Amino acid sequence: MNAVKVDKVVKTPQQGGLRQAMAWLHTWSGLWISWLLFAIFLTGTLAVFDDPIGHWMTPEHALEEAAHANDPPLPKVTDRAHRLELALDFMAKEHPQADMWEIWPVQRPGHGLSAYWFQPSGGYGSADLDPLTGAVIEHAREVTERETIGGHHFVDFHYELHTGRIGVWIVGITTMIMLVALVSGVITHKRIFKDFFTFRPAKGQRSWLDAHNAVAVLTLPFQFMIAYTGLAFFSDDYVPAPVVAQYGMENPKRAFLADWNDAGKPARSGQPLAIPALESFAQRAEQAIGQEIRAVVLDNPNDASMRVCMYGWNEDTELLTRLSANSGRACYALATGEQVALRLPGESDTGGAGLTRSVMSNLHMVGFGGTPMRWLYFFCGLAGTAMMGTGAIMFMVKRRQKSGGEFGAYTQRVYRVIACLNVAAIAGLSIACVGFLWANRLIPVGLEHRAGWEVRAFFGVWFLMLVHACLRAEKRAWIEQLGLLAALCLLLPALNLLSTGDNLVAQVARGDWESAGVELCSMAFGLLAAWGAWKVHKRKEKPLKKTAARENAAPAASLQVNTEGQS
Amino acid sequence: MINTILCALGLSYAGMASLSLAMDRHHGQVWGRDAAPNVRRALQLAGAILLALAIWPCVAGWSATVGVVAWLGFIGAGALLVALLLSYAPRLLLRSSLLAAVAALAGLVTFLR
Repeated sequence: MNAVKVDKVVKTPQQGGLRQAMAWLHTWSGLWISWLLFAIFLTGTLAVFDDPIGHWMTPEHALEEAAHANDPPLPKVTDRAHRLELALDFMAKEHPQADMWEIWPVQRPGHGLSAYWFQPSGGYGSADLDPLTGAVIEHAREVTERETIGGHHFVDFHYELHTGRIGVWIVGITTMIMLVALVSGVITHKRIFKDFFTFRPAKGQRSWLDAHNAVAVLTLPFQFMIAYTGLAFFSDDYVPAPVVAQYGMENPKRAFLADWNDAGKPARSGQPLAIPALESFAQRAEQAIGQEIRAVVLDNPNDASMRVCMYGWNEDTELLTRLSANSGRACYALATGEQVALRLPGESDTGGAGLTRSVMSNLHMVGFGGTPMRWLYFFCGLAGTAMMGTGAIMFMVKRRQKSGGEFGAYTQRVYRVIACLNVAAIAGLSIACVGFLWANRLIPVGLEHRAGWEVRAFFGVWFLMLVHACLRAEKRAWIEQLGLLAALCLLLPALNLLSTGDNLVAQVARGDWESAGVELCSMAFGLLAAWGAWKVHKRKEKPLKKTAARENAAPAASLQVNTEGQS
Repeated sequence: MINTILCALGLSYAGMASLSLAMDRHHGQVWGRDAAPNVRRALQLAGAILLALAIWPCVAGWSATVGVVAWLGFIGAGALLVALLLSYAPRLLLRSSLLAAVAALAGLVTFLR
């Protein structure tokens, strides 16, 4: 027995061939990033529905929207020419020095009028104007409206962990390791086609392995795609050398983005030229691109080099059939009235590479295909989340039965840390996510910097769960955190009822499926967590003697499990 | 749109069920014995055809590009469903997949125009 055991522990990746080496790589690269990846995947999955979550988190707005749900649709704007004049007057008076004036004449929803410009300090300035008079509309936030970043919290956490550029880098490196883990996992899993549909429940370690394999293999195309497009999304950050080679060391990114977003932007000539009426150009552009005009961008105002670009709105129906989220765009040189650039909806004005990039980022963000596609992404994302979670748990399940002794004298202590991190990263983060929704209802509406407090509540709850996981025995920690998760998820509709008076029945009755969907999903997750807590509670710790005896009897079989077992 | 979803999901599910039943392990779960070679080949062929047919409603309902992405998503969803049923209700797999195949094939008629 001893000989077998020693053999298994001592065997180095080099001795076991490719598959052993990959199993080792998969276990250790996978383990150390599984907690972070679980967080990135869970929040990314929730981010698929950031709009409905944001809708739920602004109940005052949602209720007001519901009150006007049966109003006839707003009549189409007929005075766009007048609106453009008003916005040009505003810009000429307030920001004559800006070399880019951007006007949104029929801002959706609500058909407002907005103007944007670059501040001398570098930021983006904006003003909403009265479409009748051109007066600036001051937005005094109503005290009854709760300040929140809503579902966008999950988006921000997903790609930058709320820490800016450093977070983008951490997420990027983690994603790279995920690709390594995916490839090594596929190589390790030698019965990938034989086990394609296999899940054997209630068999301990075997079930965890089956579940890990099943969710990973069945959604493998999605997992590769989402990791790869996630990296491609930030390619100019992660792989800056080509940009530097092309644009030099001096602010390469800015020059690159200027070229990228503003191909063919004219240089100032110094010759003055009056701004003509823009409405006729808007109409020409609408003819050319076949979309209603969304934004009017005027470069070098009052200069002979003046150029105007007209951007169209992407209608929902168009995005059902297009992978690229680029809207149509037509540009005109105002000195001659000539059309200088044309981009049809879905095309790219930066060539094949530009189109590829636009499609990749849209693939990552499901900016196409409508609600059904969002649900597909949601379930595939959950499968990915489950892949991370089951992988991390399996490491401990396996070592609870038989220690690998990887860390010498510190083995038990390191295992304890890993067990704590498992609980805090899986159950604890889930609690923090639903806790974020609770914070939205519990934090007083008028509080200063309220949106920030919601995010702080998210991190605070997560930290508390980490502390809790470290203080309690592993099994107790799982039961208590899963129980808390179940309670918070299942009681979310009750919290909403108590805090806003709104409830599921009313939401469904008024056709507010966004709010109802959030609460129904929350309850579904609650049931799942309750089931999980109950399963852990029911689980009997296997006496170690039995395991040892079985291993003694069939060393070959257990060795095979080890090879397949990826850890 | 609901027609597209049901059709694509039904075909993916039935196709994946057919492919799974062509494997001895799952054939045994449902019928208690290994599959005869010609039965296995027939099931594999049927599965491949059903999965291929699932592209049709996707492309008709969305477009050639979006449809292919949707198709990949649906066959993944179909496979997950099959794996779940095989674990918890293997007897249900046969009848439900036959029903799904018939209903989805009938539903394809609506995409003929």
